[in-house]
Amino acid sequence: MIRQGAIKYGLVVLLVAMVLVFSYLQPAFGSMRNSFIILQSVSIVAILALGVTATLAVDGFDLSIGATAALAMMTSSYVLVVLDGGTLAAVVAALGVGVLVGLLNGFLTVQMRIPDLLATLGVMFLLLGLQLIPTEGRSIAAGMILGDGGSAPGRFSAAFLALGRTRLFGVVPVPVVIMLVLALITWLFLERSRFGRLFYAIGGNRSAAWLAGANVSAYRYGAYVISGVYASIGGILLAARMGRGDVSSGNSLLMDAVAAALVGFAVLGAARPNALGAVVGALFVGVLLNGLTMLNAPYYTQDFIKGAVLVVALMFTFGLAKRT
Amino acid sequence: MNWWKPLAAAALLLPALTQAAELPAGLENKRIALVRFISQGDFFQAYLAGVEAQAEALGLELQVFDARQDAARQRDMLDQAILQGFDGILLQHGFTDSIKDKAAEAVDAGIKVVAFDVDAENEAIPQIQQSDAELARLALEQAVADQGEQFDVGYVYVSGFPPLERRDAVFSEYKQTYPGIREVARFGTVNNPIANSVADQAAAVLRANPTISVILAPFDEFAKGAKIALEEAGLAQDVKIYSADISTADIQAMREPGSPWVATAGTNPAVMGEVSVRALAMLLAGENPGRQVLVPPTLITQQLLNEQDIQNMEQLGQKLPAFAHAEVANPEWMRLPKR
Amino acid sequence: MELQDTTKAFGPHQVLKGVNLRLPAGQVTALMGANGAGKSTLVKVLCGVHRADAGNLLLDGRPVVFQDPRQANAAGIVTVHQQINDNVVLSLTVAENLLLDRLSDGRLGGLLGRKRLAEQAGPLAEAVGLNVPMDTQVAALGQAERQLLAIARALAHQPRLLILDEPTSTLSDAEAERLFVLVERLRARGTGVLYISHRLSDIRRLADRVVALRDGVIVLEQETPDLPRAVQAMLGHGLGEASHEYRRGGRERFRLQQARLVAGAPPFYLSLREGEITVATGLLSSGGMGLLQAIYGLAPLAAGTMYKGGKPWRPRSPAEAIAGGVFMVQEDRARAGIIPGFSLRHNLSLPFLSHLSRLGMIDRRREAERGKHSLDQAGVVYRSDRQPMSALSGGNQQKLMLARWLQQPCELLLLAEPFQGVDIGARRDIARLLRRTADERATLVVCTDLEEALELADRLLVFNHHRLVGDHRGEQLNMEQVLQQIAALPEHIDEELR
Repeated sequence: MIRQGAIKYGLVVLLVAMVLVFSYLQPAFGSMRNSFIILQSVSIVAILALGVTATLAVDGFDLSIGATAALAMMTSSYVLVVLDGGTLAAVVAALGVGVLVGLLNGFLTVQMRIPDLLATLGVMFLLLGLQLIPTEGRSIAAGMILGDGGSAPGRFSAAFLALGRTRLFGVVPVPVVIMLVLALITWLFLERSRFGRLFYAIGGNRSAAWLAGANVSAYRYGAYVISGVYASIGGILLAARMGRGDVSSGNSLLMDAVAAALVGFAVLGAARPNALGAVVGALFVGVLLNGLTMLNAPYYTQDFIKGAVLVVALMFTFGLAKRT
Repeated sequence: MNWWKPLAAAALLLPALTQAAELPAGLENKRIALVRFISQGDFFQAYLAGVEAQAEALGLELQVFDARQDAARQRDMLDQAILQGFDGILLQHGFTDSIKDKAAEAVDAGIKVVAFDVDAENEAIPQIQQSDAELARLALEQAVADQGEQFDVGYVYVSGFPPLERRDAVFSEYKQTYPGIREVARFGTVNNPIANSVADQAAAVLRANPTISVILAPFDEFAKGAKIALEEAGLAQDVKIYSADISTADIQAMREPGSPWVATAGTNPAVMGEVSVRALAMLLAGENPGRQVLVPPTLITQQLLNEQDIQNMEQLGQKLPAFAHAEVANPEWMRLPKR
Repeated sequence: MELQDTTKAFGPHQVLKGVNLRLPAGQVTALMGANGAGKSTLVKVLCGVHRADAGNLLLDGRPVVFQDPRQANAAGIVTVHQQINDNVVLSLTVAENLLLDRLSDGRLGGLLGRKRLAEQAGPLAEAVGLNVPMDTQVAALGQAERQLLAIARALAHQPRLLILDEPTSTLSDAEAERLFVLVERLRARGTGVLYISHRLSDIRRLADRVVALRDGVIVLEQETPDLPRAVQAMLGHGLGEASHEYRRGGRERFRLQQARLVAGAPPFYLSLREGEITVATGLLSSGGMGLLQAIYGLAPLAAGTMYKGGKPWRPRSPAEAIAGGVFMVQEDRARAGIIPGFSLRHNLSLPFLSHLSRLGMIDRRREAERGKHSLDQAGVVYRSDRQPMSALSGGNQQKLMLARWLQQPCELLLLAEPFQGVDIGARRDIARLLRRTADERATLVVCTDLEEALELADRLLVFNHHRLVGDHRGEQLNMEQVLQQIAALPEHIDEELR
């Protein structure tokens, strides 16, 4: 019974305990305002983690999400600043990039039969390079000098910036809203729809699912497109928050998102990739980092803490579950 | 129908016509290599632009090696550059220990070497630097001028980066000189994207330490993160950011209505690129630019930017001559890039 | 070498029930047995992979115990397993494979020139007539060459007892003949050989003695081979004692015309009718399974046309087959049927989620109700339908797999080895369930085990080397003839069956 409880609620209990301890040590931690700061700080990672969860569900893996987010950030910035396009055009272009990357990953893993890790690793490098080409490796900001010597005509529109910076009802940051909406959609899709059921069936036993009539290739494509689109949404929010298109590898995003998705395995004893878990996993890491920063813990402890969280969560998932 | 021939001839002659003063003999047909440790970010882009412009003005053939923040790769590239027999090598950033023996090897091979923002620990290798101490001092002086001698600071700092460490040393002095300046929180990260990660940290720090009225960000990516956090927290009126470094994006950020980023001390990275090449050219011409070439910074305030309506680095250079040109490594014969 | 009263059980499943087996030196002992008789377990006990639960293993009259295959090897017992790729390392070269055992025990020292390897390995390959460059990667070899390589490696050990498990299944006649010569040479040298094969021609050619294994006991031991009797013993007594009512088919549901399972085989015609359970039998991979795969859209026929309800039937995937009303219960449910992380309920509903969904969202209450109903109908014994599949016994898992495909009406239900890993009680239940529901569809089952086949069949098809060689009504079965058809040799099928 105790073990059952530990598996199911262990991580959630730990999360609550953490919140209580931090609130005690630093009263500002528990405030409403800080809750949204934490949610805001995990929103982008959580969105990426939801995408990874979709690929993990079909027993795939998408290492290219960080790079996809970086590319989507550059794409939307490019459309806004260099091409002087509108908000809608920037968002659509970035989402289009996500879809294309998803299709490419699907093509490489499904059609070309390259193992998921290798294919998406290749795509990751491809995208890292690709984002540098249009601007010759420069970051994109309003007024930047272009290759021909003139300065860029466009700027980040207020509507686009609002995606990253506005608060709904003056309280809830837009990225948090988007994260929650995507989490709900993903949860409904994976847990309640027949498509999600088939995702898990394919992840559990690909040939059995195929023999039971699932169109395995289409679903695997679908998982990568979801992952690509989610990553590009993350990229758009990143661009909107920073108000510029920074050349970056997105590797920290990738690592954090994968960690969140894996920590999520342990949430409520799911022992499999799941939407709720991905968000709670991201939150778990976010709460720890926020709390420790408030307590003035030095920056270099952060990665260590993340690693420790992941290891503990994996112990909950595998070590304890095995023995039941 | 050879109507194009005179045109082509004119085009060929054009560079010759613009070259007024006579260049020293040592500079003809020389090839130089820029071996850079880091290239991502506005600063490094502008630096490269300066290097390219100055090399072109002097008729030097330039090849760029980009190690992309990989010390081992920078070392390999340095090796390559030596092998390929460049006449001059410009090292940009990196770590002393990972390049000093290779740099010495290059010097022994008769190649002229200068180093920007990294100490190659070699008598024959001039070191070009922006004056980090001066940079930090200008920003801190402005903070004291604005805020008085008594305020609480949130300090964004990550150790392990020599320029940041030099700036940090000045801040430590200041804390001694002005006991009223208290560092109540220290945070920072170099996780990509840096501004985004720092913003998350700053949000937490500001909640935990409501007394903070100044954020000291000795690196502009840190300042951007702090600015995001302040605006999101609605504290832009109450907390001000003092920083170092400057770029077009930084100018835009400082000039946004209600921006908390009020001052930065900066050296024009393009000018540093130019100075680096000029120092290398002096070596090639047989002259000595000195063991250390320091490029002096300029203080840039939000007020100044707004008053002069400065939008980008170009205009900053035009309206603030001190920013557009540094009078270092500049002998009589030197040809400067056209502005 | 000798086995005395050897028993071995896996969980509750008693595989070897007291085996007494003598393997004299200088003789080839052929071991015959149907699938599941316990042959592979017996081999694994002999070569040290498994330890017997009880009984003695005597070597030269002295009892020995092998802790692992290495000890058996050291005692001179060498095995060439049926799965060729278990015997060779695909990523290494021919020479490295041949010398693998010496490499791993350090007999060759640490540093190895390619030339020295080839020098050492060359004679070994030559002995079995393996003519490929010594530095070829094994992955680049064909099946027959790999088989020869495995045998060459076994011979390198100078075995005292050589166990060959279906060694000729991938060899051509010429290659097989080379192997026979080798075996004869070993026999002359005094090596004992245990030869396991379904191929009667091999046994006729080589065997000095024949033993038949059935249900974990040696049921026949012949000092002079009498193959027809051995086959009968191996397949078991009481054949044809089937006790069910035979039903005649009604309306035709499915038809194959001019069908060939492999190129070169004579074409056949087959009509499958509703109400009737048709069972295809034959030795392993004799064609029945290929037929099911063709109908289910997994692999096309070599030639011919299929018709379902009078219209051509050409599914390109299981999904299309299911959409057309052809369902299939897979062989090897762990690999091809069960989703391990899924509960009973979710495993059950998998193919028919669209029937349970509105706008893509699953109606979970309907799923639960229908699922429970199906489980009860199929007589699955379970505590909760939210349990994982691993909570069920093999028989109940198989019932669930069947229940999965009985949830919706279909034109044709295919079943591959439905009694695999199923105890006798569950077997009866499954047969009853199939018969009870057979009216509204045609049913085609593949059972290699004749006894299992007879338990189900209203009509029995016999396949031999991808040919349809027999088509019998259940009530008019001539067992003699059926056995003949099952075991006939490829080159003699036509004459022997006339």
